[in-house]
Parts: sequence; structure tokens; C-alpha cells
Amino acid sequence: MGGVILAFWKPFVLIEGVQVAGLYAAIALPMALILGIVGIINLAHGDFMMLGAYLAYWFTVYTKTDPLVAIVPASLALFLIGMATYRSTIKYMHGAPELTQLLLTFGIAIVLQQLANLLWTSHPVSVHVGYASASATIGSFTFGTYAFVYVAAAIIFFIGLFHFLRGTRIGKAALATGQNPTGAKLVGINIDRIYLLIFSISIALVGAMSVLFLTRHSIFPHVGGIFTLKSFCLAAMAGLGNLTGILWASLILGLSENFVKSFIGYAGWADIIFFVLIIVVIMVGSYRRRVR
Amino acid sequence: MKNLRHIAYPFIIALAVFFPFYTGPYLQHTATTILSYLTLALSWDMLLRTGQISFGIAGFFGLGGYAAALTHLNWGANPFLSIFFGGLFAFLIAFLLGLLVLHLRGLYFAIVTLALAEIFRVIVRNLHSLTGGPEGSVLPSAIFGGDPPKIYWLVLTLTIITVMVSEIFQKTRIYFATTSIRNDELVAKSSGIDIFKYLVFVFAITSAIQGMIGSSYAHQYAFVTPEESFHIHFTLLPIAMCLLGGMYTTMGPVVGALVLGGIADYLKLLLPYGHLLVYGIVVVIVILFVPRGIVGTVSERLERGK
Repeated sequence: MGGVILAFWKPFVLIEGVQVAGLYAAIALPMALILGIVGIINLAHGDFMMLGAYLAYWFTVYTKTDPLVAIVPASLALFLIGMATYRSTIKYMHGAPELTQLLLTFGIAIVLQQLANLLWTSHPVSVHVGYASASATIGSFTFGTYAFVYVAAAIIFFIGLFHFLRGTRIGKAALATGQNPTGAKLVGINIDRIYLLIFSISIALVGAMSVLFLTRHSIFPHVGGIFTLKSFCLAAMAGLGNLTGILWASLILGLSENFVKSFIGYAGWADIIFFVLIIVVIMVGSYRRRVR
Repeated sequence: MKNLRHIAYPFIIALAVFFPFYTGPYLQHTATTILSYLTLALSWDMLLRTGQISFGIAGFFGLGGYAAALTHLNWGANPFLSIFFGGLFAFLIAFLLGLLVLHLRGLYFAIVTLALAEIFRVIVRNLHSLTGGPEGSVLPSAIFGGDPPKIYWLVLTLTIITVMVSEIFQKTRIYFATTSIRNDELVAKSSGIDIFKYLVFVFAITSAIQGMIGSSYAHQYAFVTPEESFHIHFTLLPIAMCLLGGMYTTMGPVVGALVLGGIADYLKLLLPYGHLLVYGIVVVIVILFVPRGIVGTVSERLERGK
């Protein structure tokens, strides 16, 4: 109903909102996976995406291939980086206070940002591909179509993860570990291996996503920070660890941001929508607890 | 031991107060910067003692700076008055926000504060007519005409006040309240401690301190911009200093700030574009290997030696 009204009143808001929602969802899904199964809040999430995008940029510049080719090396590289990060740091955070986890991943985020700052300077870089500005026309109204690739990515991630967690042996083990680590251990699941795998896969997904991000956005060392915050906002809206909820939450965020942006002179305010949403979620949550 | 403290404290304070008499402007300037970070680190630790972790230091730092600069510019307020106003403004905003966000703890609170610097930056950038927008605002002149010793004494005053507030927090019933909230909230609640009241109070006080340091910083450099005033290093450095020194004490952040602040000055010359990398590494390494920090580890060794 609301969608129909929006489609006629402000069609741009609907289309761009859905496209941005795809971008947000595809980045937030791996975060929700880590939250739900490994139980770690990763404040370096967006910075891993930034790192992946820079690696993809490097690859593209050196090999002079199409940026999309970089999806394979970028996700592979981030899989390994995720593995190394888990082995060297995150591993020791199980059972540590939440506070320590937050500080550790905050430290990792800074290390990644400043590493990028050292290696590639803070000057924004971007790649240009012709197909990124592809457009379609319906009646008198023209819109960009390439960004629907984000929606496709989000849907592929979601369906893939769903089948992985429900359909495969190791996915089921991961789900069990997320629900009850001690129980999972008792029935013979190597939970440390599961944590390592899930963390690395999530970071690899972020790496794949970073290449799509690179094709449409310019990147700089601090580009990831806001995606960490927005991903967390979505995870909080969905309920920590809930994958399906991420899709709905990202639609709400994407549409409302573009709704605000569509008013001339107020575009700059779109960036605080996610914060307002977090506050609303918190208030609703605390109200619910009090009622109960 | 106690007698030693009675001699040591006045001696250290005297040493700090007379510092500008036997050093040059460069060292005075460096010392002022270190003291600013020291105070931020201490204020961060004061909130940490309740078990709440804030990543919003830069947010209140910048907010205070803007409040001070704009009252000075638009209303012609005396610089000192405007620094006080910067603290008051940060206090009020933190109080109102705290009423909302302190209903949730730990994770949620931390992330909300992490977003604060970003949010304040967006607001400041968009209120063109008031704040000067993305270009920021320039003050007619630095405080005291930019005289390093006087600025040093101004910041030192704020630092000493903060150390005293921190000690008051450690010596009065606030200490027991905050410590019990950190250790076990349920027990604290059932012992009749009004947790929410204490959390909001400590959050507002520490934010006011951060706002005042931001104000003095704005007056020292005579400009405020959205990018510089809310820069991540105002969050990162104090956290790294406090972790290195040791959490939950007054001594920890002080020692950490002096050690890391001294090293930082070299690093800036050595690695002009990536010196913040070192702070990130310090945070990670301290969390993994020295969770109690310098002060905690040393005092543990001393206890064991006895």
C-alpha cells in the first residue's frame, strides 16, 4: 500500500531506496551472521569492506581487467585475512567481557583504517566502468539499473546463507553452535573450527561485496566506518542474529533515507536517519521490557 | 607509603605548575596537548568504572568546542565564560541523551556513542547559518593571544579539576555505586542503588569535562570545523592511553597519557600520515596481552613482592 503511493508520488525514492537497501542488507548480513553464531560484535566490519575494496582496486589497476573480475581474488584475500584476524585476536575473546570485545574490534578497525591511510593515502580513489551508469526508461522517467546488482547480491547472500545453515551438515552445526555453544561442544562439534569458518566466510562475503561497492563509489580509508554503524543499526532493528529481519530493516533504512534526500536542501540530514532508528529501537525495546 | 604520597603529590603539582618557567614554547605546547588527552582519558575512565564504554569522546569534545566558539563569536562571551558554557552544553546534551540511551547497556550504549561523533558532525555541517557549515568558523584570535604558558595553565587547571573529581568519585559512595554496577548490576539494584541515576550523572559529568577540553582546544587553535573538531583521534588517543596505563584508577590514565603522549610526539614526526596506526596496535596488544595496563601490572607485581 505504502509502496504503491510512493511509486506514484516519488518513484525515485522507491527505486533508489530499494537499491540502497540491497547494499545495506548485503553488508549487514555477514555482520548478523557473526553476531548470531560467533557472538562477537565486530566494530571493524565496515573497515574490512574498505580493505577489500582497496585490494580490488589494486588488482584492477595492475591487471587492467574488469573490476568485477576482482570479486574472486578479493573474497579469497579477505577469507584469509578474516582467518588470520580470528586466529590472532578474536579467538581469545570468547568468554571475555563484552567491553573487551568492543575495545579489541575498535582497535582492529583503527589498525585497518590507518593501514589503508599509510598504503594508499587518504585521497579518494575510484574505478570507472561504463555499465555502472546503465539506465532504463519507463514512460517519462529514467533511472539507473546497475545498482540493482546490490539487491541481487543481498538476495543471493540471503538464500545462500539460508541453505547453508539449514541444508548442509556444517551449516547445521554452526546454527547449533550459535544457539548453544556448550551443547554443541557436548555433541562433538568442534566449535572453535566453526567459529573460525563462520568468521572467515562472513569476511569473505564482505570482500565480495566490496568489489560491487567499488564499481559505484569512490573509496577512502574512512569509508567503512559508517557501514559498521548502519549494519549494527540493522542488526539491532532485526534482533541480534536474525537474518530475515535484516532484509526488512534495510528496506526501512534505505527508503527513509532516500525519502529525506528527495526534499531539496535536506539531503545532508539523511545520514542521521540510522541514528534515529537506533534510538527508536532502543526506546521500543525498553518500553516493551517495562510492560512485561 | 602514605607519608610518601603527602610529599609526592604537592611536589608533582608544583612541578607541573612551574613547568613553563624552565621550558620553551615547543615543550609547553606539547605538554598542553598531552594534558588535554590526559584529561579526556581520565574522563573516559570515569565512565568506564560503571561498566559503560563510550566511543563518543570526540562527539562531546567537538560539541563543546563548537558551543564555546559560537557563544564567543555570536554573543561576544568572554573566553572563560564560553569554555564554561561549552562544558555546560555538553553536560545538558549528555544528560538528555543519557536519559534515552542509558536504558540499554554495554553493546548498545557503546555503539550509540560511537555514532555520536558522526551524528553531531552531520548536524553541525547542516546548520549552515549557525555553525558555518562544512567550512567551520574562525575565531578572531586565539585565547591569551596564543601565549603558550597561559594556555598551558588553563588546560592544567582543567586537568587538576578532573583529577580531583576523579578522586572524589573514587573516595565517596559514588565509587561503591559505580563499582557494584560494573560487577553485578542485579546485586547493585537489589542493594537499593538507583543505577540509572548514577549512570546518567556520571555520563553527564564526564561529557561536560570532554566538552570543556574541547572548548579550550577550540580557543587554543581559534577555529572549529566539522572534520577537525570531531576527529576520530580525540576518541582513539584517550582510549589507547587509558588502556595502556590501566583502567579503573586515577593513576592509570595519567601514566598512560604521559607515556603514550611522549612517544606520540616522536611518532608524529616519524609517520606523519599513519601515526594513528600505532595507537590502534597499542589498543589491540594491550587488550590481548596486558589487560591490566601498566599501573595494574606494576602494582600487582609489587603486591606479590611483599
